Amino acid sequence: MATNPMHQFNVYRIGPEIKIAGIDISFTNASLFMVISAVFICVLLFFGTREKKLIPSKLQLIGEMFYNFIAKMISDTAGSKAKPYFPFIFSLFMFVLFCNMVGMLPYSFTVTSHIIVTLILAIFIFIAVTIIGFIKHGFGYLKLFVPSGVPIVLLPLITVIEIISYLSRPVSLSVRLFANMMAGHTMLKVFGGFVISLGLLGGWLPLSFSVALTGLEILVAFLQAYVFAILTCIYLNDALNLHH
Amino acid sequence: MKIVFVILGASLAINIDLFAAEAGMPQLDPKYWASQAFWLVLVFTLLYLAISKLFIPKIKGNLEDRENKIRNDIDEANNLKELSEKKQKEYNLVIENAKKEVQKILSENKSKLNIEIENKKKIIEKEIEEEIQKIQIEIKNLKKNSINDIGKISEEIAQKIIEEISGDKLNESSIKAAISETSKKNMDKYL
Repeated sequence: MATNPMHQFNVYRIGPEIKIAGIDISFTNASLFMVISAVFICVLLFFGTREKKLIPSKLQLIGEMFYNFIAKMISDTAGSKAKPYFPFIFSLFMFVLFCNMVGMLPYSFTVTSHIIVTLILAIFIFIAVTIIGFIKHGFGYLKLFVPSGVPIVLLPLITVIEIISYLSRPVSLSVRLFANMMAGHTMLKVFGGFVISLGLLGGWLPLSFSVALTGLEILVAFLQAYVFAILTCIYLNDALNLHH
Repeated sequence: MKIVFVILGASLAINIDLFAAEAGMPQLDPKYWASQAFWLVLVFTLLYLAISKLFIPKIKGNLEDRENKIRNDIDEANNLKELSEKKQKEYNLVIENAKKEVQKILSENKSKLNIEIENKKKIIEKEIEEEIQKIQIEIKNLKKNSINDIGKISEEIAQKIIEEISGDKLNESSIKAAISETSKKNMDKYL
């Protein structure tokens, strides 16, 4: 059981069973690690913003680096109109990043390795972006599906493709994050299992793989959080500045 | 080589063993989907509120403060620089004026001194001239007198010599006439 690479993704209840209108919303290990990640972010930012130093302390510098990083990302991809959405993008990036990073700790649980979590985030972004687009441009937002400069013969086909690609955004966004996280952690677990089963004699090779994979997974954890946030920015850019 | 085979064999064995034990992904088990959704929404909303209301204004304020401080410092530095350049110019001007004044005073004094020296020179030269003239007149007088004296002395000498030699007294006026004739003849030689 313990050597099953999928075992780490099991969700189990912690504490009493909570049911509202017949729906089970008990506190689980997934909930626990969401809370841990959020608390981690808050503690980091709290100590990062406690002192207002002209020359920042290390924690303050980390907070300011995150701030500048995301501010630059938003202004590069979505322009100045996206400024009101900065807190959301910031929260999203921090939450995904810290869930990924906390998941890298041994015996922890990776919140973002569950399709339901990433799907809810992606669907929320999808719906929010669509609403923003319609508020900003009215029905003119539908021009997004009709690119200009396309031969009239190809236009119906292109429009259908555009609509399909637009509707598949939440799926691609959520599956990308979920699959990356799950695959990485499964691989780590498989190589970890090899180390145990091959023992002192042959375990060194998978151990070295494991070490290398841990580095790779940390990179992936950061990269996927970045990709998630920047794709959100790009979708937001489509809604705010209609280019087609 | 041996190790690779061992690993391959072991991996096969483990994989068969593991995936036989529990097939499928826990992610696709809908049992706790509602719970995860609920807690995700709750935690993320709280996190969003905390970040947007508490942390971002603080970080933003701090960054803006720093930028303002840097801008103010740069402005102040520029102002001070301008001020110091102004002072430098003033200082240079003062020094230049002082130099000019010194030059002026120097040349004025020089010319004044020159004039004074010239005046004194003239006065002294005049005095010397006067003195020379006076002395020349005196010398002339002296010469004239000495000629008369010489005439008288030579008359007396001539009278005495004649008396000694001849024992006779000659007419004074004839002696006088002879001497004055001789002296007139030779006067030009001595004057």
